[in-house]
Amino acid sequence: MAAALDITDLGFRYAGAADDVVRVDRLSIHAGEHVLLSGASGAGKSTLLQLIAGLMEPSRGVVRVDGTDVHGLHGARRDLFRGSKIGMIFQTFNLLQGFSAAENVMMALKFSRVSKASHRDRAVELLAAVGVTTPDREVTQLSVGQQQRVAVARAAATSPAIVLADEPTASLDPETADASMALIQDTCRSIGAALVCTSHDPTMADRFERRESLDDLRSAAQYQRV
Amino acid sequence: MAISDLTIIRRSLSARLFSTVTTVITVAVAVALMLTLLSMRDSGKAAFERGTGNMHLLISRDSSSLVSVLNGVFYADPPARSIDAAKLGELRNTYQPAFSYFIPTQQGDSYRGMPVLATTEEFFSRFSPDPDFNPDDPESDGEPWQLADGEFFDAPFEVVFGSAAAKETGVRVGDTIFVVHGTEVSRKAADSALQFSPHVHKDFEYRVVGILEPTGSSHDRALFTDLTSSWIIHAHDRRQAEDPTITQTTVSDLTAADALVTGIYGRVATRAGSSVSAAIPAILSQLRADQSITVAQPKEEIDTLFEIVGSIDQILIAMAAAVMVSSGIAIMLALYNSMEQRRRQVAILRVLGCSRGRVVALVLTESALLGLFGALVGLAGAFIGSQVVASALKAQVGLVVEPLFDPTLTLAVGAAAVLLGASAGLAPAILAYRTPVARNLRPIG
Repeated sequence: MAAALDITDLGFRYAGAADDVVRVDRLSIHAGEHVLLSGASGAGKSTLLQLIAGLMEPSRGVVRVDGTDVHGLHGARRDLFRGSKIGMIFQTFNLLQGFSAAENVMMALKFSRVSKASHRDRAVELLAAVGVTTPDREVTQLSVGQQQRVAVARAAATSPAIVLADEPTASLDPETADASMALIQDTCRSIGAALVCTSHDPTMADRFERRESLDDLRSAAQYQRV
Repeated sequence: MAISDLTIIRRSLSARLFSTVTTVITVAVAVALMLTLLSMRDSGKAAFERGTGNMHLLISRDSSSLVSVLNGVFYADPPARSIDAAKLGELRNTYQPAFSYFIPTQQGDSYRGMPVLATTEEFFSRFSPDPDFNPDDPESDGEPWQLADGEFFDAPFEVVFGSAAAKETGVRVGDTIFVVHGTEVSRKAADSALQFSPHVHKDFEYRVVGILEPTGSSHDRALFTDLTSSWIIHAHDRRQAEDPTITQTTVSDLTAADALVTGIYGRVATRAGSSVSAAIPAILSQLRADQSITVAQPKEEIDTLFEIVGSIDQILIAMAAAVMVSSGIAIMLALYNSMEQRRRQVAILRVLGCSRGRVVALVLTESALLGLFGALVGLAGAFIGSQVVASALKAQVGLVVEPLFDPTLTLAVGAAAVLLGASAGLAPAILAYRTPVARNLRPIG
């Protein structure tokens, strides 16, 4: 069985810059494994997630998600792969305003290979599973907590191989943050997806069976843990 | 059930409803203007051609052929010079055998601003505003005059009203009227120059015997009576000037000098099923050799007139095209501005698996839809607008203009609006294509 995520000799630097912003010599994550990715502000955590999602081009290296070289795919094929295999959760949720909760989830299904006939039912089912019982309400009319639940349901919609969560609890109070992280992890477990979560919050560390620091990932020999 | 691209576009348009509505209105105004101009241009010419009807030639003593037609058919002004009885007789003797009809007319009087055309009964039996009516062919497609009420005149001092004239003056069959010397146009000019007061032919009462059905021609605004009545009332004026004690004038008092006409409607005899004759050029040439008269081919004069106003027409159409291009720019600006606000939405769609190509297609479809909505609203606007203009023309000048929407031309204008809309979406689409996903997903603030 292929690893959910396998990174080899990944490097990214901005044009004209002297040093890499991101450098990961080796990182492999099993299917269903939950990993907390830590690092100082500006260390490149978000950039690494964008590189994994294929939204940015690395300067070098290979990123494989569910056995597929993400950057070996181009154009619409990569977009389709991302839509099907990678779920993303953001600090500010990035929900589509003007659309209902169900439509936000259905939007993720729209760009996947999931049968169109089942989109609405699957969206409502997922929302119910995360505790959203008003699927037809416009997302801006939902509470912050409800909005995050919609974002979690959307990330899980296509049963991706991996969910990338970028500081998902940064704007929440500690109690809500803990419940929110529990929801993300429970949802990922329910669909068998691996989870890579970045967070500044040290209290989140205990929730993860594996914790990685971006600084440490620069040394491949030390962190090969497959 | 899944979310369609159209749902995404619909939400995008409704999210900025004001901008959407104003953009659609801008396109609609341009399309409506363009279609109205095009439809009224063709139908306006058709309305003018209906005025000249089935006549081939108009003989008068006006200064030019065009003036002759404008005065003799469209009642622009009473002809200034008359053809006397001797000349009329000479023309009749020479040409009438070749003609299907040779109808003398006289203008110069009016009733409440409506021109009075004195003529013969043949005006109703032979001449028709319908160019397809051939009086010598019972199988002819065209329509002769139709009465809405009453009958055509067959005695002196009987008058028949055109439909618009009857409607405007409110007269009915059986009413009596007095006509005024001069017409509205000539009287206004005289009023301002000479403090002229209208001269009413109060000694002669006309009885309304018929009201015509609308024909869509200039004749709808006119009144029709027989030539003898007109000669008598003017002979009466002449006789009273010579002897103020005279109170009555009859046919027996008419002299050759009283029997004046201002125009002759002529139609050359044609074969059944044909509205033209090979003899027309020769007759025309022969008539034009006579320097004492002006001979006009009304249809040719209308063509000439429309060639003259055609340049104005083209300027108006160019202006409408400019408005249309402006509306394209409005679409572009509306989408471009909204795209600045929608970069995050584009970034989210990209994260969810939407390809760059699909984002471009969404933006282009959205802009094309703005063009399409504008075209549809514009078409409705053009239809309503042209009806309003047609009603105004009918009410103001009695000209019945039926707006003609050429399906091909209408479709072409609509397609142009959609194409313009799609083209206007190119720049915003490129902006959407280039939207950097990572940067636009960052928390705001």
